[in-house]
Amino acid sequence: MKPIEIIGVDVSYGAKKILEEISFHADKGEILGIIGPNGSGKTTLLKAMTRVVARDCGEILLESHDLDTLGHRELARRVAVVPQDISIGFDYTVRDIVMMGRHPHIGRLASETARDVEICEHAMRLANVAHLVDTSVHDISGGERQRVLIARALAQEPQILLLDEATSNLDVSHQVEILNIIRGLTGRITVISVFHDLNLAAYYCDRLLLLKERKVYAIGAPADVLTCENIREIFGMETLVRPHPLTGRPYVLPVYMQTTDVGVNRRVHVICGGGTGSDILYLLRAAGFTVTCGVLNVLDTDYGTSMHLGISTVAEPPFHGITTASLAAARKWLDRADAIVVTAMPIGPGNLDNLRVLLDYPGKPIIIYAGNGSARMEDYTGGEADAVLAEIEARGALRVEGAEDLIALLSKGQFGRE
Amino acid sequence: MRRTAPLIILALICALLISVGCAVTLGPAGIPIKTLLSSPNTLMIFWDVRLPRVITAALVGCGLAVAGTAMQGLFRNPMADPYIIGTSSGGALGATIAIVLFAGNGRPVLAFLGAMAATFTVYFIARSGGKIPVETLLLSGVALSTLLSALLSFLMYTAGRSLHQIMFWLMGGFWNVSWNDFFIALPILMGCGGVYLFARDLNVLSLNEEDAIHLGVNVEQVKGILLALSAFVTGIAVAVAGSIGFVGLITPHLMRLIVGPDHRVLIPAAALAGAILLVWSDTLTRTFTNDMPVGIITACFGAPFFIYLLRSRMKA
Repeated sequence: MKPIEIIGVDVSYGAKKILEEISFHADKGEILGIIGPNGSGKTTLLKAMTRVVARDCGEILLESHDLDTLGHRELARRVAVVPQDISIGFDYTVRDIVMMGRHPHIGRLASETARDVEICEHAMRLANVAHLVDTSVHDISGGERQRVLIARALAQEPQILLLDEATSNLDVSHQVEILNIIRGLTGRITVISVFHDLNLAAYYCDRLLLLKERKVYAIGAPADVLTCENIREIFGMETLVRPHPLTGRPYVLPVYMQTTDVGVNRRVHVICGGGTGSDILYLLRAAGFTVTCGVLNVLDTDYGTSMHLGISTVAEPPFHGITTASLAAARKWLDRADAIVVTAMPIGPGNLDNLRVLLDYPGKPIIIYAGNGSARMEDYTGGEADAVLAEIEARGALRVEGAEDLIALLSKGQFGRE
Repeated sequence: MRRTAPLIILALICALLISVGCAVTLGPAGIPIKTLLSSPNTLMIFWDVRLPRVITAALVGCGLAVAGTAMQGLFRNPMADPYIIGTSSGGALGATIAIVLFAGNGRPVLAFLGAMAATFTVYFIARSGGKIPVETLLLSGVALSTLLSALLSFLMYTAGRSLHQIMFWLMGGFWNVSWNDFFIALPILMGCGGVYLFARDLNVLSLNEEDAIHLGVNVEQVKGILLALSAFVTGIAVAVAGSIGFVGLITPHLMRLIVGPDHRVLIPAAALAGAILLVWSDTLTRTFTNDMPVGIITACFGAPFFIYLLRSRMKA
């Protein structure tokens, strides 16, 4: 028996369809996150579950009971809602507000019992607001008020807790505090929550439901739902999805790429390493250049970047020097490049060949890019690298400091294919 | 609920009893209480003139204050009062029709019917798809009130010699109140009791309607019942005493400052305070101002006090 099951639900406001053919269920004790772009119907979906909005068709079952057969009070004893921060006009105390959670349990002619008081106190302890009990809700912070609303919802003793972006208006520490409280409830209570922040959703939810244009686009484990492809499809945005280094949960990093076409039909080969090339690989790509890269070690940060960006890269296995085969592959790219960019990378015996090989291309424009950091390359070869570098510069290589200057220089005619 | 709440209610009950006691002994006849009760003539002043008048004033004050409390909670709007959705204009028009067309006969009945009819007209104008959005309700109240006031002005314009009587009635008062009016006013208590049954629902509703639904309140039903009860109570008050302003607006505010917003305490506190307020206002006008309409007194004291409350709240 599922705590809640939604079968083929449509909702519309007037003539406008808001939700279409929504079907899913929640498992007992899980946190199910609802994500999707603005206007995809997330909040409306929650409202349909509490009958605040009417459905056009479809069924909602609470533990196999048809939602429509439940009375108002019965429904409020099964399902509680934590709204987004609400303004409370009158000067109620925290105790008053939490006690309102007992409203569906207390008859019209009855008054609250010792048990009601006990349940409220327990709820306030769980939500960490017990110390505020006699404070006015006007005198507490937004984060505290949100916890009071959680306590109120818990006082309803619901089987299902719905959160409507309950933490969206709070700063990140309060978001985490509140979601940790919610996380601590699961097992007993089934939680369905609308999330705005994909990373919070990925960490706190057992499963995610992704809405797109009124319909369910995907549902499943966070790692299956939060993929680059899904996010590109739904939000129209490039992202990197990596496992969070501490939790292993998927973590969505937006790629803030704004593409131009100044570099279209121009080839640039980048020689970098140790993370010194990531920014310029990204910017060259965004500017439309055809970028190649190498030779890099596969453990290098720059290698990760070039892979995400889909850049053709010559790479060596971990802790390996540059082999002749790799160097030959790199030469192929160097032959075809319109320009070569060398970043201010540290140079040791392992990657010295990357620099030496440039001596074989006296005719190519070579730019030494310092980025925004130190312009000096760390030389771990006992002077050999510095000597090669001096030679390259003597042959006319340019030094460029900023990324913008580099892009501007590379897009000028003399570096283009004549 | 605050711990001091039962004490405050008790104090208000005592204050009301003392007020009624004072009010029946004070009057323009200036007769000491001992002589008042000794001769049959003066006993009649006490029994048939002062007592029904004072108790009726208490009932009307109680009704207006409770209706105001319910409206403010229901609309989550501190400016709401029992007249906000056209009740008083409807009542005024009904009473004026009685004065102009029937020489004052059936005035209370027509006033009550007018008040109820106006309220329900507004209710049905604002209703769409089984819901009554608060903004629409308030706006249709304002619109209908304007229309009714225009009709009222037209009647007054054509009233000729009854104009004075209409003006007097519109300002509200208890000058001709008898035991008969007391019995007409008595159902106000039932209405107030009915409102009190929804005290906890009002608490929840005063947060916001969606929240109230989540907490198990059948919002549209409760709204309908409370509107009906308020219109009933206000309609009776208007029928008995004309439209007396400010009691329904101010009393809930004042009591909310003292007992807090919990309607389980606020409703009885406002009921008692409204009664006290109107008993004293009526006693003042009867004793010192030659029975000037009591609406003038409540507005004269009410409006400055309200401005004071407003200013001090803005500073806080």
